[in-house]
Amino acid sequence: MSTPVKEKTWFSYYLKSISGVIGGILVLVMFTISILSALGITPHDPLIQDPVNALQGPSAQYWFGTDQFGRDILSRCMDGMRRSMLVSVVAVSIATFVGVLLGIVGGYFGKVLDGFVVRFSDVIFAFPAILLALAIVNSLGNSWIDTSLAIAVVYTPIFIRVARGPVLTVKEMDYVKAVRILGFSTPKVLFSHILPNVLPPIVIQVALSMSWAILTESGLSFLGLGTQPPDASLGLMVSEAQSLAAFAWWTLAFPSLFITIAVVGLNLVGDGLRDSLDPARRSS
Amino acid sequence: MFSSDGREAMTLAITDVTKKYKIRTTGAQVNALNGVTIVLPAKQTLGIVGESGCGKSTLARMITGLEQPTTGTVTWNDAEIFDKAKNMLSSKHSKIQLVFQDPYSSLNPRQKIGEAIAEVLTVHKLVEKSAIPSRIDELLTEVGISPDLAHRYPHQLSGGQRQRVSIARALASQPDLLVLDEPVSALDVSVRAEVMNLLIDLRERLGLTYIFISHDLSMIRHISDQIAVMYLGRIVESGSWDAVLENPRHPYTRALIAAMPDHTLVGNDLYEEPLKGEVPDPAAMPTGCSFHLRCPIAVPSCSVNIQNLREVEENHLIACQEVK
Amino acid sequence: MSSPLIKVSNLTVSTSDDNRTLVNSVSFEIAPGEAVGVVGESGSGKTLTALSLLGLLPRGVQATEGSISYDGKDLLHTDGETLRSIRGNKIAMIYQDPMTALNPVMRLGAQLIEVIESHEGQSGDATERVLTAFSDVGIPDPKRAYESYPHEFSGGMRQRVMIAMALLLSPELLIADEPTTALDVTIQQQILALVMHERRKRNMSMLWITHDLGVVANLVDRVVVMYAGRIVEVGSVKDVFTNPQHPYTAGLLASLPKASDKNRTRLVSIPGIPPKPWTVGESCAFSARCTRADDQCRTTLPILRDNSSTQAACFHLMGEKQ
Repeated sequence: MSTPVKEKTWFSYYLKSISGVIGGILVLVMFTISILSALGITPHDPLIQDPVNALQGPSAQYWFGTDQFGRDILSRCMDGMRRSMLVSVVAVSIATFVGVLLGIVGGYFGKVLDGFVVRFSDVIFAFPAILLALAIVNSLGNSWIDTSLAIAVVYTPIFIRVARGPVLTVKEMDYVKAVRILGFSTPKVLFSHILPNVLPPIVIQVALSMSWAILTESGLSFLGLGTQPPDASLGLMVSEAQSLAAFAWWTLAFPSLFITIAVVGLNLVGDGLRDSLDPARRSS
Repeated sequence: MFSSDGREAMTLAITDVTKKYKIRTTGAQVNALNGVTIVLPAKQTLGIVGESGCGKSTLARMITGLEQPTTGTVTWNDAEIFDKAKNMLSSKHSKIQLVFQDPYSSLNPRQKIGEAIAEVLTVHKLVEKSAIPSRIDELLTEVGISPDLAHRYPHQLSGGQRQRVSIARALASQPDLLVLDEPVSALDVSVRAEVMNLLIDLRERLGLTYIFISHDLSMIRHISDQIAVMYLGRIVESGSWDAVLENPRHPYTRALIAAMPDHTLVGNDLYEEPLKGEVPDPAAMPTGCSFHLRCPIAVPSCSVNIQNLREVEENHLIACQEVK
Repeated sequence: MSSPLIKVSNLTVSTSDDNRTLVNSVSFEIAPGEAVGVVGESGSGKTLTALSLLGLLPRGVQATEGSISYDGKDLLHTDGETLRSIRGNKIAMIYQDPMTALNPVMRLGAQLIEVIESHEGQSGDATERVLTAFSDVGIPDPKRAYESYPHEFSGGMRQRVMIAMALLLSPELLIADEPTTALDVTIQQQILALVMHERRKRNMSMLWITHDLGVVANLVDRVVVMYAGRIVEVGSVKDVFTNPQHPYTAGLLASLPKASDKNRTRLVSIPGIPPKPWTVGESCAFSARCTRADDQCRTTLPILRDNSSTQAACFHLMGEKQ
C-alpha cells in the first residue's frame, strides 16, 4: 500500500496556517487585479482625464473617487498594482536565479570561488537598500526594466546568503558523500541532491523579497524615480496625494491600502510557507 | 603484511599512507594518518578498531576516494583510487562503496528510496531502462526490504530499514569492496543482529570484500577475518581475528579489550585499573611511540623510538619494542 | 527491611496535546545505597521516567498518573520551590552531553560555586570545596580548571566536571542518562571507575539509564528492563542477565555476539521493531515480535509477577514449557 506523495502534505500544512491562508487570498486578489489591468479590464482608462469631476469622493461612477485631474483612482490603483507586481516578479526572479546559483556554487566549491561570492555579496550588503536602488535607477533610467534590475541587484546578496548557508551544511551530509562515491557528476550532485534540500528557505525568501520589492518600487516612484507621470504608480500616487489628502482622503487612502495589502499579503504567505516547509515548526 | 594467496587480481593495497591537514584557524598540523600499510585480498573482511583520533574514518574516506593521501598510495586492482592527473575519482571507484553510520543522514530525505536506487542504475547504465524497476525490486529483496516500500521516503522507514536501503544502494553499483563505517552503531540493539546477519549473508552470496570499521569489539570479532587495531594514525596490532583478540600483545589492544563492557561478565569489577590518560590529539602527537604516555609498560626509550609493525607469530604483527 | 529511598508508583507520562502514552504505569523502588539500571531501546520510555523524578519533563509532555514518593513528599505533586531545593542537592543528574549542564560562557569554578550558593547561600569555604571536588574526580590541575571554560576541555574531562558538579552537595541519589555513550571506550572505563568509586565512598544510590547491556552488567545491583513504555522485567543484575525470563530480555541478550563463542555462530535476531507505546492497547507490546506469543498475549495485558528468577510481565516465561 503506497503512502501519499509528500507534495500534498506540504499544502495541507499550508492550509493550516491562518497567516498563510489570509496572505494567500490577498496575494491572489492582487494578482487578479494585476492581470485584469494588464488585459485592459479596468472600470475606466487610467490615463483619461475628467476635469469636471476632479477630486470627487467615491461614487457610483468612480468607486475610489478621482484625483486632481479627474482620473479614476481605482483604475489607476489597478494599473499601479500591475506595475508593482511586474517589477517585483521580474526583479526577484533575477535575484533568485543569480543569487541562488552563486550561493550554491560558492558554498559547494569553497575556497577562492566562495571567497569571491561572499565578498561580492558583502559589498552590495554594505549599501542601504533604497540608496543603492536609487543610485542604480538614477544611472540606468526610469523604465520598469531598469527599476527591476536595480532591485534585483540589491536583493541578490540575500539569496546568495539564504542559499549558501544551507549548502554548507547539506554538502557535509552523508547522502551527498554517498552519491559522490557513487561517481555522480558534480552538476547532478548539485541539482538533484543539494538544491532540493536547500529549497525551503529559498522559497520563503522569494515571498518575503517580493513583498519588500513592492515596497521598494513604491518608494522609488514616491521619490520621483521609476514610473513617470502620467503613468499610474502606487508610490507616485501617494506622493501626489500628500498635498491633497487633507481634503481628499481617497487620493491617499486607496493607493496606500493597495501597497499595504500587497506587502502584508506576501509577508503572510512567507509566514505560511515557513510554517509548512520547516519540519520543526509543523504542529504535527 | 597479511598473507595473500595469489589472488592478486582483486586486492586493496594501502601503501605507507599518511594524511596531514593544516587547521586554518590555528595553523596546527593534524596528523590523521601516519604510515598505514594494508594489503587486503579479495573476499576477506578486515575489521578496523580504534577510538577517536585513530584515523579510521580518514582511512575510510581515503579508500572510497573522498580524500587523497598526503603521501603513499591507495590502489584497487593496482589502479589508484584517486586520479591525480584528472583531479577526480577514477572510474574504478564505483567498485568501492561506503555504508555510513547514521541511517538518518545517509539517504536524501527528498528522494523516494526506489528513486535513489534507480538513479544509481541510470547513472552507471548498469541495466536497460526497462529493466530498472525489476532490478530495484531485486536489490530491495536482497537486503530484506519489501519492494512495496520503494515508494516511501526515508523518514517513513525505521533506522534499520534505512540502513538496509543504504546497503541496497551501495550494492546497486555492483561493488567488489564495501567499506562499512560503524554500520550498526546507530541502530537499536535488538535490530543490530539482523543487519549483521544480512551483511554476512551478502558477503557469502556476492563474494564481497569488507572493511568493517567499529569501536565495538564484539561486532568486529563476529565478522572479521583479519583485524587491525589503530591508534593515532598507525596500526599498532594486526593479524587474524583470533590471534589479535584471544592473544592480544600490544598494551593498547589489551587495554581496549579490558575496557570493553561485556554483558556476560556480570558483577565483575572491571573498573579497577582503567587505562590512564586522555584521548590523544592528532594535532599534538607525542614523540616516539604515540602510545607511550598512557602505556603501562613504557620505558624511557619508548618516547624516542617510533614503533614499526613486526611479526610476533604467523599472521600476527605488533608495533611495540617491549613485547617479546 | 529499610524503607526505600525513592518509590515510583504507577507513573504514566503522556503528551499534553493529544494524550499519547509514552510511559505506562511504571513502578519501581530504589533502596538507600542501591544502584538500579534501567535498560531499554529507543521509545522504551526510560529517559522520560528518569526526567519525571526531577520534574524535568520537556514541554508538551506531562505525568498524568502515579506518584513518586521521596522523603515524605510526592515529587509529582510538589511545588517548584521544593523541587528546586532537591535538584542538584539531594537528587542530582548527569547527562550524555556535558554541555547540557555546563554554561559555555562561564568559567567552570564559577559554575560550581553557583551550585553551592544557590542551595546554601554564600559560603566561605566554597572555593576549597570546588577545588577538592575537581581533584576527587581526577582533574589534573584543579586551580587551572577553576579558571577555565568548558570548551578548553576534552569530552571526558567535561564529563568529570559534570560529575563533580552533581556530587558537590553529596546527593542521596544520582540519576545518570547515558553519560558515557558518546565517549571512547577507554575513557568510558575511566568515568565508570570514577562513578563506582564515588558511589561506594558515599553510599549513594544510583539510577543508571542506558541501552548498553555491557555497561549495566558491571555497574548496578538491580536491572529494570523497559519496552514500549512499560517495565517487562526486573531483577538482580545476575538473575536478569544469566537467567532472563521475559522473551524480550532473553532475545536481546541472545542477539549480542559473545566473546566466549569460539565458532562465531549466527546471531539470533528479533524480527521487527519496537512499537510506539501509544499504539499498543491492552496487550503485550512484545507479542508482535515474540515466537511464544498466542491469542492471550495479543488481547490481555501481562502484569509483572514473581518467578523463579526475576519479576517479569509475560504469560509464557522462558523457564516455563511452551
